[in-house]
Amino acid sequence: MKASTAAAPDRVRDDYAALVRAASGGDATSVERLLVRAQEVAYRFSLLVCGHVEDAEDVMQDALLRTYEHVKDIDNPEAFRTWLYSTVRNACLMKRRRRAGEPTRFAPLDDAGRRTHDGAAHGDPWIDRRLHAALASLPPSYRAILVLREIEGLSTRETAAVTHLSEDNVKTRLHRARVMLRHRMEGA
Amino acid sequence: MTTDEASGCAAILSNISAFLDGELDATACAAIEAHCSTCARCAPVVEGLQRTIGLCRAAATAPLPDAVRARAQEAVRRLLGRL
Repeated sequence: MKASTAAAPDRVRDDYAALVRAASGGDATSVERLLVRAQEVAYRFSLLVCGHVEDAEDVMQDALLRTYEHVKDIDNPEAFRTWLYSTVRNACLMKRRRRAGEPTRFAPLDDAGRRTHDGAAHGDPWIDRRLHAALASLPPSYRAILVLREIEGLSTRETAAVTHLSEDNVKTRLHRARVMLRHRMEGA
Repeated sequence: MTTDEASGCAAILSNISAFLDGELDATACAAIEAHCSTCARCAPVVEGLQRTIGLCRAAATAPLPDAVRARAQEAVRRLLGRL
């Protein structure tokens, strides 16, 4: 039994920063890669956190256009990931608000409701079905923090910035989310 | 379980997240590992959390469906005027 390390998230962050630096400097290949990556982030977040597979296309399009506009004006490449996840999260929230008057089977992103959703039936094999179902059963704000930290690899500080929570609050919720997820996964 | 054992478990459980995140120093990590090597209560908790986190991190590196990636690439090419 060994402790985990924070090396992987650091590597991802450095990789992003290098890509953003090259893209903002006008390198066409880097711009393309960054725009594709922004859409992939939007897809995963939309599916795993918001549970709105039907909205994923719109959220991807939003991420694409906003990143395209933003990349020309980036002055702090290290802050790009926080900007991207905040943008994607806001796009998901906007989609949800537009649905406010509709009957819904989806879980909200904030803590206004605590329903679960059936996102595991989306048919994509890229994520373990049991994991997807277990994630879907978590309270939405816990789910967002778990996905941002464990799947997307954001640091505690970045997660706090995206979710507008304190770092201590992020840590507390992450711990609870991990325990809940383990219970759901292993029946422990 | 004795009072000492119970307090040892409580100390471990309160530090689990920091342990899992690699935020503890070597001495604190060694103490947790030593405790878990003999504690039937804490070991499965820590190992279960490590398995759960491992599954999440595996999902992080799994490629998205081909159709999604293709749509993303096509949208970029269209935006950049290459279609």
